[in-house]
Amino acid sequence: MNRAYLGEFEEIVLLSTAALDGHAYGVALMHEIAENTGRPVKLNQVHSALQRLEEKGMVKSSMGEPTAERGGRRKRLYTLTVYGERTLTQVREVRENLWSRLTKPFKPAIEL
Amino acid sequence: MKSKHLPQPPAWADKLLCLVCAPHLLESILGDLHEEFEYQVKKEGERKARLHYWREALGFLKWRYIKRQKQYYSSPFVFSPDMIRNYFTIALRTLAGNKAYSFINIVGLSIGLAAAMLILLYTKDEVSFDQFHANNPNIYRITNKYISPAGKQVGATGNTGYVPGPKFAAGVPEIKAFVRYHGHRNDIKKGNEIKSETVFRADSSFFSVFSFPLLNGDPKTALKEPRSVVLSEEMAEKHFGSKDVLGRTLLMKDSFEKDARFEPYTVTGVAKKSPQNSSIKFDIMIPMVIGPGEMHRATNWFNTFMNTFVLLTPGASIAQVERKMNLVYNADAKEAIKEVALKYGMKDKKVYSLQPFTDMHLSAELPSDNGLAGHSNPQFSYILTGVALFILAIACINFVNLTVARSLKRAKEIGIRKVVGSGRMQLVAQFLGESFLLCMVAFIFALALVQLVLPVFNQLADKALALSYLFDSNLVLGYLALFLITGLLAGFYPAIVLSGYNPVKTLYHRLQLSGKNYLQTALVVLQFTIASFLIIGTLTINSQFNYLINKDLGYSDEHLVSVDKSNLTRQQAYLLRHQLQKDPDVLAVAPKNSGRWNTSAKVNRGEEVAFTYETVDPEYLPAIQVPIVRGRNFSADYPADSTGSVLVNEAFVKQAGWKDPIGQIVDFSYENFKCTVIGVVKDYHYADLNEKIGPQLFTMRPDNPYGKFFVKIKPGTETSSLRHIAKTFTQLFPLNPYSYQFMDDENVKQYESEAKWRQIMLFGTILTVFISCIGLFGLATLSAERRNKEVGIRKVMGASVASITRLLTSDFLKLVAISFVFAFPLAYYAIDKWLQNYPYRIGIDVFIFIQAALLAVLVAFLTVSFQSVKTALTNPAKSLRSE
Repeated sequence: MNRAYLGEFEEIVLLSTAALDGHAYGVALMHEIAENTGRPVKLNQVHSALQRLEEKGMVKSSMGEPTAERGGRRKRLYTLTVYGERTLTQVREVRENLWSRLTKPFKPAIEL
Repeated sequence: MKSKHLPQPPAWADKLLCLVCAPHLLESILGDLHEEFEYQVKKEGERKARLHYWREALGFLKWRYIKRQKQYYSSPFVFSPDMIRNYFTIALRTLAGNKAYSFINIVGLSIGLAAAMLILLYTKDEVSFDQFHANNPNIYRITNKYISPAGKQVGATGNTGYVPGPKFAAGVPEIKAFVRYHGHRNDIKKGNEIKSETVFRADSSFFSVFSFPLLNGDPKTALKEPRSVVLSEEMAEKHFGSKDVLGRTLLMKDSFEKDARFEPYTVTGVAKKSPQNSSIKFDIMIPMVIGPGEMHRATNWFNTFMNTFVLLTPGASIAQVERKMNLVYNADAKEAIKEVALKYGMKDKKVYSLQPFTDMHLSAELPSDNGLAGHSNPQFSYILTGVALFILAIACINFVNLTVARSLKRAKEIGIRKVVGSGRMQLVAQFLGESFLLCMVAFIFALALVQLVLPVFNQLADKALALSYLFDSNLVLGYLALFLITGLLAGFYPAIVLSGYNPVKTLYHRLQLSGKNYLQTALVVLQFTIASFLIIGTLTINSQFNYLINKDLGYSDEHLVSVDKSNLTRQQAYLLRHQLQKDPDVLAVAPKNSGRWNTSAKVNRGEEVAFTYETVDPEYLPAIQVPIVRGRNFSADYPADSTGSVLVNEAFVKQAGWKDPIGQIVDFSYENFKCTVIGVVKDYHYADLNEKIGPQLFTMRPDNPYGKFFVKIKPGTETSSLRHIAKTFTQLFPLNPYSYQFMDDENVKQYESEAKWRQIMLFGTILTVFISCIGLFGLATLSAERRNKEVGIRKVMGASVASITRLLTSDFLKLVAISFVFAFPLAYYAIDKWLQNYPYRIGIDVFIFIQAALLAVLVAFLTVSFQSVKTALTNPAKSLRSE
C-alpha cells in the first residue's frame, strides 16, 4: 500500500473541508456533514477525524479570528494539503475505475 | 445590543474540560462548543441546548483530547545504559583521582555507619528482651505500690513473698497459673570439693508458663518432686561431663541454713542454654519447697524477696484482674494489715498491680531484680543512640562539606553536561548515585568493622551480640533504611547545589564559591559543637569516676580481706580468730553479719528511725580504722555490751536529734528489746558512693548470726597470709566453700557501670573528634588549594610564612571557637543533670571547660596547620607560573 488509508468518515470530512474552501472548522464542518449526509454527527467525532487527518498530513490548520459567539475564542481553520488533495483524487480514481468496470450498471430502484 | 439574559452554556462542563483537556486543543474545542450552543439555543431553546452541550462536551473526555502535546525538545531518556556506564566511569575516576577526599569520606562514613549498626544491634537486643516466650503478652509480674495516707505513691517494688501467687491464683479466675521464682545459693559437693553455686527455685508450673525448651526430661513433671533438679546443658557438662544425665544425682545443700545437710537431688531435666536476651537465666533450677506454716502466716503478705509471675487468660482485662487481686488481698490479709500497722507503725496502704513481663527489663521504677538478670537502664540506650547518631551526623557533614567545597573542580563537568543536554534531574540523579556508591563502599567496610569491634562492644555493653543476629528481617530492613537515609542525607544537598550551576558561568571560569559559605560554616560549627560537647562529657565522667574511686571512704579498705562463712557462730568466730592470729601477719580478725540489714526502731518515745543494722564484735571498728567520736567502743570488760549496748553513727544522732547521745535508749519495739547507746561512730561510707550515708547502728546481739569475717593483713604479705587464711578456713569449716575478696578491689568494682560509661564516652568522643578532624583536614586542603595564587602573591609582596599560616589557620580556628558558644551551655546543662544522680559528686569545674576548649583548639590547629604550613612554604613562582 503506497497510499495512506482513509476511513469513510475521514474521507467525508476531508471532502467537506475541501468544499468549505478555507472556512472549514469544527462546527461548520459538523453542520456541513450533517446537512449533506443526513446523519447525526457529534463534534468530538469531527475533531478527532481532523486530528487524525492532520497527523497523517492531509490537512493543515491555522488559527483564525476570534468571534463573539465563540466567547472570544479563535477558530482553528483547516485547509487541505497537497498530499490531502492527491489522496482524495486517488480515492476518486479508484472508485471511478471500479464503477466503470461494472458490466451491468445499477438500474434505478423503481423496478423493484 | 446583546440582551442581559444571554443564555450561557453550563459553566461546570467548561470547567471540567479546562481541567481535563490538553491546553493546546482547548481553545478550538471550547470555541466550537460555544458556537454550537448558540446555534442550538436558537433552534431548540435553552434547556435542550444545555443538555446537548453536556452531551457534546462529555464526548471530548477521550484520551485523544486529554493527551498533552509533546514538547518540541523531547527530554532525553534518563537512564540509558550508556549514560549509566558513563556515570560509573566518572564516579570511579573522581574517587580514584582524589584519594585523600575519598579516604576521608569512606573512613568517616564507615565509622559512622558501624556505630549506628552496633546501636541497632544493641537496641534490637534490648527491645527483644524476654519476647521469646510463647505465652507473651499474657505473662505478668505481680508488683506492689505503697500509697501514703495522703494518697501519694511513696514506693513500689516488683518483689513479692510466698503468699500472693497461690492466693491470687485461687481467688482470681483470670489467672491461669503462677510461678514464684527466687534466686538462692546452694553448696554443691563433687567428690571432696565443695562449691557454692547460684540456684533458682521455682514452682512446678515454670516450664509450662515460660518457654525454656528441655533437651531431656518432661517439662510438665520436671519440678514436681521436691528433690529434683533441672540443669542447663552447660552445667550438666561441667558437673557430669555429659549432657545425657537424666536420673543421675547431685549432692546439694542450702548455703545459708544452719542445719542443712547434703542431700541427693535427682536430675529430671536438662535445659537448653537460656537465651541471652532473657531476664531469667538459670544453670540450676530446683522446685520451690515451702514449709507448711508459711502459707498460713498472714504477715507473709508483707515479705518482699522474690518474683511472682502469673499467666492470665488471653484477653483478660488487666484493670479487672488487679481489682480482684486487691479484693483477695484485703479480705485475706485483713487481720495482718491491722497487726502490721500496730506493730511496725506501717501507715502506707499496699496496692497490688501487674507489670507485663516484657516491660521489666527496661523499667526504671520496677526493675527486674532479685534473681532476674540483665536489667538495663534505658538511659544507657539513649546515650548510646545519641553518640552513634552524632558520629553518623558528623560523617555525613564531612561528605556534604567536602563535596560542595570540591565541586568547583567539577564545575566544568557539570557545565559540559548541561550544554550537551543534561537535565537537572539527571545531574541530581548522578550525584545522588555517586553518594550512594560511596555509601555502599562505606557500608561494606562498616560491616567488617562491626564484626571486628563486636567483642569489645559486647564487653562494654554487657551483651553477647553477634553479627548473625543480622539475619532477621526487621534488622535487615533497619540496615537498608540506614543505608538509604545516610546516602540521601549525605548526597542530597550537594546534588541540589551542583546541579544548579549555570553552565555559562562554569565554562567561563566565572563561578566563585568563595565568599560567605554559610552552610559550610554552620556545619563545621555544628561538628565542633558536638565534638566539644562530648569532650566535656568525657572529662566530667572521668573526673567523677576518679572522684568515686579515690574518695576517702572514712574507713580503710586496704589489705582488708573479706571471707564469706554462713552461720558463723560466736564460738567458731572465737576459734577462728585464735587460729588466724597465730600468724603475726594477721593484724585483726573481725566477724560481721553478711549482706545488708535494714530495719527501724523507736527513739525519743515513739519516733521511728530507719537504719542499717550491723552485727559486729569489739574488733570490727578498730580493724577497719573507724574512730569513735564520743563514748566508747564495745569492750569485753563490760559483759552487758553483748546484749544491751549499741553504737550509732553521727547520721543516726542527727536523725534522732540527740544533743547528748550517750545513754539514749533505742527501742526495738516489735521485738520488745531496748538497748542503750554507749558510743558514737564517725560516719563512714558503708555502702557505695551512690548512696548517702544514712543512720547506722552497731550491735553485738548474740541472736544475730555472723555471715562473714574481715581479716586485716600486713601490707606485702598477701601470698603467705592468704595461704594461712585458706588453710585455717578449710581446717575449721571443711563443709563450707571458701572464697575471699579484697575489699579495695570490691569497692572499685562497685563503679563498674561508671567505668563502662567512661569507656563508651571515651570511644565515642575519640571517634567524633577524629571524624571531625579529617573533615576539617579535607576542607583545609581544599581551601589552601583554592587560595594558592593568593598565597603566591602575598609571598611575592613580602608576607612571611608565619603570617600566611596564621591567615589560613585562623579561619577555621574561629569556627571552632564559635562552636564553644553552643557547646558550653549544652554541656553544662547535660553534666549538671547527670551529676545530680550522685549524692557525692564533683563540682562543675571551669577547668574542665577550659581543658575541653584547649583540647579542641589544639586538635583543630594541628589538623589545619599542617596544610597551612605546607601551602605557606610553597615557592610562589610555582603557583603563579601558570596562566
